[in-house]
Amino acid sequence: MTRGKETGNLILTAAVFILMEVAALVLLSRSATLQNIWINRFSHRVMAMNWRAEENIRGHFRLREQNEQLAAENFALREELRRYQAMDRLEEEQEHLAATKGRFTYIPATVVKMSRNNLHNYIILNKGSEDGVRPYSGIISEQGVVGVVQAVGKRYSYGLTLMNSFLSVSARIGRNGLVAPLVWDGVSTHRAYLKGIPPHVEIPEGETVYTSGFSFVFPPDIPIAVTQGVSREDGATNSIAVRLLQDFSSLRYVTIAQNPSRAQIAELEQRQEKEEES
Amino acid sequence: MSDTAYFLRLALLLVLQILLLNLFNFSQYLTIFFLPAAILCVPVRRGGIYALAVAFIAGFLTDFFADGMLGLVTCALLPVGYARTWILRWIFGPDFFERGEELSYRRLGFWPVLLALVLATLLFMLIYVWADGAGTRPFWFNLVRVLLSTLVSTALSLFTVSLFTPERQ
Repeated sequence: MTRGKETGNLILTAAVFILMEVAALVLLSRSATLQNIWINRFSHRVMAMNWRAEENIRGHFRLREQNEQLAAENFALREELRRYQAMDRLEEEQEHLAATKGRFTYIPATVVKMSRNNLHNYIILNKGSEDGVRPYSGIISEQGVVGVVQAVGKRYSYGLTLMNSFLSVSARIGRNGLVAPLVWDGVSTHRAYLKGIPPHVEIPEGETVYTSGFSFVFPPDIPIAVTQGVSREDGATNSIAVRLLQDFSSLRYVTIAQNPSRAQIAELEQRQEKEEES
Repeated sequence: MSDTAYFLRLALLLVLQILLLNLFNFSQYLTIFFLPAAILCVPVRRGGIYALAVAFIAGFLTDFFADGMLGLVTCALLPVGYARTWILRWIFGPDFFERGEELSYRRLGFWPVLLALVLATLLFMLIYVWADGAGTRPFWFNLVRVLLSTLVSTALSLFTVSLFTPERQ
């Protein structure tokens, strides 16, 4: 007998056996109630096993689809994580602001009007004296320093932006570096200069410039700009070009920072000046 | 052995088996069957399907005429018909069917034939006792019943084999 014929015979015999056995089980289940229940239970168990095996096989072939879904979910989770990390950083910055809260109070405001094309640019905010705003308060945003409140109405405030050649801000290079006044270059929307830098001081490019905290207008360590290059101002000092961090074209929401002790400090200064004059 | 001679002997055994089941009830632990031996003695030149058909008919007739459940003996005897080829090949070698030999103590030896009988009877009893209990009887009861019934049935089956191969003895 050939191998193929033998295999065929084996399969045929097995098939006939299964058929006859099923017939015998049907006979048995119909002739006795107990056996009927037992066979039904057994057949249900076999069917459950079949379904489980079928489900396993189907699950195996669905792995690729599931992997793709998991990859997409993973990507979404990473995006969310990045968002939370950015929020954490923002919170840290806000905590830093809160650390100066003893000396400064903060009022959120919205930009009503702002000029950008003049030599003396200004900004108008929707908060005034009724909201507690006083002149010579700092205007900052999440990007950095914006300007200084110059005059206050009942509901609105008028301020000078950094893009104003009349405005000078006391700045520090790095967290603990040199302190110098920062003024706008009068032309560019993003360029300013740190004036009066001694020639022997070397300032690396890319260093962040912060508010010094040596005035009662701005709290310390508010970022303003990033250093770019050195240029000779006159024979004795250098100027350092900086790129302003604040993008004035997209500015909409700001925070007004004001020092409640400003009047007391000003009075103290005036008294001292009078004493010196007399 | 011719088919006619085989069927005559099988018919006689069937009658004896039915009488035994109907008239004698020895113990709840003991059930005597020599039909597995009769299925093992189906002429060797016949194939597996033939043995299955014989097992089905013999089982069905026993179920029908004996005071039992219809399908119970058929259900237990069919696996013996299916396993017959495997049992004989395993014990007597792969060329047993090619040689066309009959089951005989003289030619094949007493112990190999006894082993074949024990395997066939044990297979039958396992399924019979399992299906008869339908999962309601304790394991130890079923085990004792299977072992005792296999022991006694195999002893009687020794004579059954002799009945099917008288000319060789």
